[in-house]
Amino acid sequence: MDALDRSRLQDPAYMAQRIAACEKEIQKGMIGQGEIIRQVMQVMLTGGNVLLEGMPGLGKTRLVSTIGKVFDLSFKRIQFTPDLMPSDVTGTNIIIKNEQGSSFSFERGPVFANLILADEINRATPKTQSALLEAMQEHTVTVGNDSHALEEPFFVLATQNPIENEGTYPLPEAQLDRFMFKILVRFPSKEELKGIVALTEGGKAPVIEKQMDGEGLLAARALVNQIPIADAVMDYLLEIVMETHVPNPYIRVGASPRAAQALIRAAKAKAFLEGRFNVSFQDVKEAAYPVLRHRIIPGFDAVSKGITEDDIIKNILDAKSALIQKI
Amino acid sequence: MEQREFLKIIQSCRRRMNIAGFLEESVSALSIGAGIGILFQAAAFLTPLYYVNIYIGLTLLLAEMSVLAVMLIRRTTMEQAALVMDGFGFEERIVTAYEHLDQEGTLIELQREDAMKELSAHRNRIQISVLPSWKKIGLCLSLFVLLTGLSFIPSVVKERAAELHNLKEEVKKKEDEIEEMVEALEQLKQEKLTRQQQETLSEMAESLESSLSEYRQAVSQEMLEAASQKLDYKYEIMSDQLSEIMRDIEGGASISLATADALKAMEDKMKELNKMKPSKEDGTGQGQGSSGEGNNGDGSGQGNQDGSGSADDGDGQGDGGNGQGDGNGQDGEGGAENGRGTGSSNTPHDYVSVPNAIADSGNLTGNATNHDTSEYFRAQTGLSWEGTHTSYDAVIGSYEQNAYEGIAAGRYPSGMEEIIKEYFASFD
Repeated sequence: MDALDRSRLQDPAYMAQRIAACEKEIQKGMIGQGEIIRQVMQVMLTGGNVLLEGMPGLGKTRLVSTIGKVFDLSFKRIQFTPDLMPSDVTGTNIIIKNEQGSSFSFERGPVFANLILADEINRATPKTQSALLEAMQEHTVTVGNDSHALEEPFFVLATQNPIENEGTYPLPEAQLDRFMFKILVRFPSKEELKGIVALTEGGKAPVIEKQMDGEGLLAARALVNQIPIADAVMDYLLEIVMETHVPNPYIRVGASPRAAQALIRAAKAKAFLEGRFNVSFQDVKEAAYPVLRHRIIPGFDAVSKGITEDDIIKNILDAKSALIQKI
Repeated sequence: MEQREFLKIIQSCRRRMNIAGFLEESVSALSIGAGIGILFQAAAFLTPLYYVNIYIGLTLLLAEMSVLAVMLIRRTTMEQAALVMDGFGFEERIVTAYEHLDQEGTLIELQREDAMKELSAHRNRIQISVLPSWKKIGLCLSLFVLLTGLSFIPSVVKERAAELHNLKEEVKKKEDEIEEMVEALEQLKQEKLTRQQQETLSEMAESLESSLSEYRQAVSQEMLEAASQKLDYKYEIMSDQLSEIMRDIEGGASISLATADALKAMEDKMKELNKMKPSKEDGTGQGQGSSGEGNNGDGSGQGNQDGSGSADDGDGQGDGGNGQGDGNGQDGEGGAENGRGTGSSNTPHDYVSVPNAIADSGNLTGNATNHDTSEYFRAQTGLSWEGTHTSYDAVIGSYEQNAYEGIAAGRYPSGMEEIIKEYFASFD
């Protein structure tokens, strides 16, 4: 594969091609997770973070390490446990003794990497969770009186297990809001599973090649941010978010303004990934599920009737799509 | 593709959308209008609606005008047109490019190029139909066929509506005429006239007011004709009375010249209105003495002026002013000779009805009430009208029956029952 042409980092068409090549390369190392790869790429192109919910063993670590290879980014994995301390994540000041005497020196924690896999984030205490969440939101780490900037690009991919809830500390809504996407990792189909087994147990693992680097990713992010959006599409997007605040027996709390921002960015990133330089209604619709599903708190009626967040979002999208068709 | 052509395509789609929208809304509005029209037509079968077709026309016109107004206000914008074009698989490229036409930037320009390229390559995808859906057109046409069909179905109520309309027209004309006369009479009353003359004028005015009321209450052609005949009769009487007043004036009554002129004008007017009546050519000439006089108290009247008949050898009839003057005319002229009258007084009065009166005829013999021995026919002699009479016994009988029913129902105070019974018994 050709090396990244740094003189063309501002060329949207070229960068779109490179990003498409990255996606293709990641798919080489992952079987049957095309949608998840696409969504993770969307988040990476907008500077957000992802919460993956799914059973263990679905290739989350592999996904992050593959992304790291393709984008040539440093990668760290943190296994969250109840006894994990914030300093275990962020790092801490240690005393250094030498000829000049003793002094404090900041020892960087695992959070100082481009890609972080926060495995089973809900197993750590809220204190530790919030240490990571500050890093996610501010891209800085504060230890003592000193703030330390994290390396850019910085991307956290946190996971949580939907089944084992005992001994866990579910993330509060305010902290969930910091994740741009909540992606549900579903169990692969038989065909996909066959492919996964063949890939991992066949003895001949595919070679993942670098396609991009951190600088290129940041340049791509800047381009994505510039993608124009039509008024009608913007109205549609905002109405979707506003609709979560309309009295609805299935919604206890609606999405925050951050949801609207995330939705715009995600829709733009999706358009860019498809080689388009404008946002379509379809981009918004597809981005709505991962953006809104962890930002809507279902009401009692929804819980009692087994109506999920995705069902609620689908209803909203259907209602709004009917309005679009009337134009 | 150039920007100009890009805009031209959007403009063209916008025009088509406007036309399509107008036609679509028009068909809907006309369907609604036709639906309302059908209701109007249905109502016209139940209640007289003479102007039903005009109402329907106005409803349809209103519907169409509303559509025009709405479409003018809600014209399709270029953004909407672009958005609709995007619906044909352009993924909002066109609307985004249109909205950012005046902006610059690498990505914006790239997006514009992409949109124009896509539009150029797949322009044939855009299919904006101008015609409304066939379902709507079919529904609209069906409603119009039904509406037209209903309008051609004759019915008694429709005929009645036409009759009532003609009646109203006639009544209105007569009302104007009477009001004009009443006003003139009121004006005359302001002048210096004798008390008797003033009273005569007042009675004339009252009589005309009464006719006006009759006209207003007329709901059938028969009632209208009856009212017209009565009015004609009144005109005749009034004409005589005005002539009399004029004679007084000529005899030296002290009234102003203007009043005299007004009186003369009134008299002429009444004569003129009387002459405007259509005459019937039935082989029997009817001559009406315009100022027949009845002698006080003697029950006899004389037609002292000539009537004119229209048929040769017809019998002329001269009407005594307050009575009935029958005269044998010659060659269509009559009323002047051998007039006989049954009037009892020349006091001004309203219309007097004389049942069972028959026309004089040399061919008639026997008793008018004896059908076995007589040949007779009923004729309108100026004083008798068929079907407007209720016998005295019937009236009293009806009142008596009501009174007895009231007594039975206990509607009257105690002690009054016997008085009521005695009262009705006194008639027997």
